[in-house]
Amino acid sequence: MTHDPGLDDERSGAIDLRLWMNFIKHLKPHRRMAFTMCGAGFGLAIVEASLPPLTGMMIDEAIEQGVTNRLLVMGGIFMAMMMIFAFTVWLFIKAAGELATGVAYDLRNGCFQRLQELPFSFFDVRPTGWLVTRVTSDCAKVSDRMPWVLLDIFWGSTMLIGICTAMMIIDFQLALWTMAIVPPLVIATWIFKRRMLASSRDMRRTNSAITASFSESINGIRTTKSLNRESQNLDEFDGLADAMRGHSMRNALQAAVFLPIVAVLGSIGVGIALWKGGVQLETGTGLSIGMLIAFMEYAILFSMPIQELSARLADLQSAQAAAERVQGLLEEVPSIKDSPEVLARLEAARGTDGPPDGGEQVVETIEFRGIRFHYKPEEPILENFDLTVRKGESIALVGPTGGGKSTIVNLAARFYEPNEGRILINGVDFRDRSLEWWQAQFGIVQQVPHLFSGTIMENIRYGRLEADDEAVRNAARQAGAHEFIERLDDGYEHDVGEGGELLSTGQRQLISLARALLADPQIFVMDEATSSIDTETETLIQAAIDEVMTGRLSFVIAHRLSTIRDADRILFIESGCILEDGTHEELMQANGRYAELYAGQFAGT
Amino acid sequence: MANFSTQFRLIRALLLSERMRYGLALTALIGGTLLIYLIPLVPQAVLDVVFNDDPDKASGISRAVIDGLGGIEQVGRQLWRPALLIGALALSAGVCVHLRQRFAAGAAQNIARRMRSDIYDHVQKLPCRTHESLESGDLLQRCSSDVDTVSLFLSEQITMIGRAFAMLLVPLPLMFALDWRMAVISLVLVGPIAIFSYSFFNRMRTRFLEKEKAEARLTATVNENLNGVRVVRSFARQSFESERFDGHNAIHRNRDNDLYRLMARFWSLSDALCFCQQGLVIGFGLWWLTQGSLEIGTFYFFISVVNMFLWPVRMLGRILAEFGKALVAIGRIDEVLERPIESSPEEPCDPETLDGAIRFENVSLHHGDLPVLDEIDFTIAPGETVALIGPAGCGKTTIVDLLLRLHDPDAGVISIGDVAIDRMQRSHVRSRIAAVMQQPFLYSRSIRDNIAITSPDLDNDPIEAAAMDACIHDSIRSFDQGYETMVGERGLTLSGGQRQRVAIARALIQRPDILILDDALSAVDTRTEHQILSAIERRHGRQTTILVAHRLSTIRTADRILVLEAGRVTQQGTHEELIDQPGLYRRIWTIQSDLETDDIVETGGA
Repeated sequence: MTHDPGLDDERSGAIDLRLWMNFIKHLKPHRRMAFTMCGAGFGLAIVEASLPPLTGMMIDEAIEQGVTNRLLVMGGIFMAMMMIFAFTVWLFIKAAGELATGVAYDLRNGCFQRLQELPFSFFDVRPTGWLVTRVTSDCAKVSDRMPWVLLDIFWGSTMLIGICTAMMIIDFQLALWTMAIVPPLVIATWIFKRRMLASSRDMRRTNSAITASFSESINGIRTTKSLNRESQNLDEFDGLADAMRGHSMRNALQAAVFLPIVAVLGSIGVGIALWKGGVQLETGTGLSIGMLIAFMEYAILFSMPIQELSARLADLQSAQAAAERVQGLLEEVPSIKDSPEVLARLEAARGTDGPPDGGEQVVETIEFRGIRFHYKPEEPILENFDLTVRKGESIALVGPTGGGKSTIVNLAARFYEPNEGRILINGVDFRDRSLEWWQAQFGIVQQVPHLFSGTIMENIRYGRLEADDEAVRNAARQAGAHEFIERLDDGYEHDVGEGGELLSTGQRQLISLARALLADPQIFVMDEATSSIDTETETLIQAAIDEVMTGRLSFVIAHRLSTIRDADRILFIESGCILEDGTHEELMQANGRYAELYAGQFAGT
Repeated sequence: MANFSTQFRLIRALLLSERMRYGLALTALIGGTLLIYLIPLVPQAVLDVVFNDDPDKASGISRAVIDGLGGIEQVGRQLWRPALLIGALALSAGVCVHLRQRFAAGAAQNIARRMRSDIYDHVQKLPCRTHESLESGDLLQRCSSDVDTVSLFLSEQITMIGRAFAMLLVPLPLMFALDWRMAVISLVLVGPIAIFSYSFFNRMRTRFLEKEKAEARLTATVNENLNGVRVVRSFARQSFESERFDGHNAIHRNRDNDLYRLMARFWSLSDALCFCQQGLVIGFGLWWLTQGSLEIGTFYFFISVVNMFLWPVRMLGRILAEFGKALVAIGRIDEVLERPIESSPEEPCDPETLDGAIRFENVSLHHGDLPVLDEIDFTIAPGETVALIGPAGCGKTTIVDLLLRLHDPDAGVISIGDVAIDRMQRSHVRSRIAAVMQQPFLYSRSIRDNIAITSPDLDNDPIEAAAMDACIHDSIRSFDQGYETMVGERGLTLSGGQRQRVAIARALIQRPDILILDDALSAVDTRTEHQILSAIERRHGRQTTILVAHRLSTIRTADRILVLEAGRVTQQGTHEELIDQPGLYRRIWTIQSDLETDDIVETGGA
């Protein structure tokens, strides 16, 4: 999708120097390139600023002396400077490219790495698209602009200083006269660039609203037609299209005023040089004709560095919001991570067999002790929750939506940490075990299973990267997926499409089940995992699932009660509490909430 | 690329639609260019006539300029005169540039504005079948970035092409009049520079596509990783993922760097070429200067002029190379606009009142060679509630689509209230029906506006009443901004069940003759579902209702049940009648309920 939510908060405020100074540190690994680039920019400016007087000297020499050795030497110098010019151009673009792409690469890897560490609570409040934009276009925006800003600061200021100095040396008075155009040039540039920045921001914002509007009209076409919304939609869209034309016109007209002003000021500079210099030429106070020509060239050259500098400042301004977001992501501290003690133990146990943190490998019990938990403070999910689960037990979690069923699993896997209370693994607080090791003990099959683009083979193998093809096939057989896979044209090499979109939800659920089976986890979680598998297939794989669960610790969350009847324990969870706990028969006998739900689901009204 | 001529024709048609503005812009362009070249003529004349020991050697043009300014004597004493002339010329040139930009931008923005509106209107009117056959991402690209490409071309590239040619052609007479030798020298490398930059940017384009591909892969990788964050974490695959990302990241960096290197080569080489051109002018100029066959002012003029036209010539290559892009884009837009829109009857008959009776007579629909509906026949009485059940792909949703005239049948007649629906305007039929789909679409605006989308002027009471009947009122109230909460891309992400219920509230507001719930309660729990269904019954009573569902507990509440298999109605009747017959309905009933019924009997049930 081309829609970029990042545009929303693009600022027009002042440049935050602290932020950018902080960003300079990302240049450090590439400092050789940075110095090369700045050096090239410096050299370029010197060459550019010294060309007009050199031309002038050649003219004077030619007029006064004719073709002399000196003139030939000057011609040689001129040619050499041209070559230096071309070389420095090549050098600074190449260096700026290395710098831009290198910094982008570092920033992206840093952001991605950070995203692998941040806990789920971070992702809950941020849409995926928003985060993707951070890693892709925000990083690009910042890294593409930084080198050019740096370069143009060096090049532009050197050039300005160079031109001024050269003019002053040649003729102080005439220099002052010619430089009279500089203040209006700076003021005009400052005023117009700001406005053009604002109008182009409006353009981009409206443009992304237009794209969003098109996207809505395409994706919602059936709804629009059935609601007879076509003409209202078009009216609203026309409003956006008008706004877009308005902003574009404003931007174009600003440019159409600004660029002529710059040109006129340059010409006025030429006129002043001709007028004041001409007077000196006539009175013979030492200014030569060649130098007069040099002055006239300088008058035109002046606007270039001023325009470039202001364009770069505008770039910096428009990339500032992106820079803040990238910096924010890089500095985000994961709230769930290994403690220093665990890290020390991980270091100590490196290279030895068994769990990387030196703890026990086999999970005998998981205990929830006095757990209090909420996603948002005003909505408590679990209050004083206690539960002990032993190896070999299968636990079914039943109850109304929002009662806390998935939360219990999320807490067990340490995707979240409880606000109060402790979760113990074999009696040891799970914060004293390695996070990565612990999470790897889980095999989770979700209601909306996620597959990665690639083949079915690759997707199942994701459960255990070193598994051979036969092991993958076995897992698929166990999950009841083998049949349908074999029926596909290219079997296990079938491409599942982005996010698995080329397969049905039911097929994806079977593949993700196979993936979890291949991983052979100690703790097995099925979160509404068979909701899209038809009734007949479900009966088929039920046997496989029962077999998988034996000897493991497993959690099953389901709406279909037929799926959970066979669990060792059924917990009826409502408002964060276990209301009922027992086998299917026991709970039916008790004739409480479970029995009510069970009867209600089937018997109808 | 096959129909280049069509694309050129399209571009020409677009340009001609604003010929007034483009004509004015062209006039301003030529006038402005002429004025710009007159500016260096003034210092030239002053240098050659006023500061020259031998003014007679100066060209006729130079003397004419000086005579115009009041003669040698006057100008010599009052050098502010030429300065003032320069200022005046520059100012007039500036005005021309401004006018050119103003007219060109106005023309381009008008065209873009119309094009956007036309394509939006057209896309909305395309039949659903066309939408299904197009890939939505591709269609979106045609509507958004292709239009942007064309509009950029019209507003900037066209004027830059014009400017480059004007900058090159307008000074020619002046140059040749002043000194034909210098004129020839000044133009020697112009051709090679233009060709060089054109071929370079052509090559650059393929590299650019490679970079874009790498970028797309990079984005897809991040996207997948974040969408699958649970999978990544629960298999502890973080480092595997980081390595995978690093691979794509490195490829992207290299592609990007290739582009920069190519750019470095281009700009330095083309700078070198331009310098050679300037070097030639300066070298030969100095030579002829020392020979006495060239005046200093004329020399100055040529140095300035070469500087002025080299830059547009360099840009010309780039623009011509990008010209292809605009042609492709305009072709892609035209492909959309060429698609026929939904048909409408020649003499529509739109009765004011329709009762909710529905009749399908021998209705067939094929998808390619596969029959989706095969001579289907059934009637629904006004006010009746009918449930449709059957395996996936049996044609349930197709029936809904046909009723809404989102699709048209290949054969057979569908009528509502005894009027064949193809004799009515599509919008008329649709205004009589409220349909809720399984994955309903909500617009990205507030919840309130979504519910009241068909009648935005409603006040809060009926909106909240509809929300209450749809069992979504309490959830809406719990959101921070209540009914004003934004949904969709920029707002809150509602769960599937919440979306379904908002869509139901939206349908209830419409008070239709016919209500269709196409698996619209699949993500809602059983108890809520029954509450909603009884609220619907309470609310309207007399409307015809079509229910598509999987849960038998929902289906059995209907007055009549139609069982569909492979595009045919195989059974119909009440729940009780159908479980007494052998067939699909009884088989589903048995599978879903086997164990449960036993248990309920055993334990005494509910």
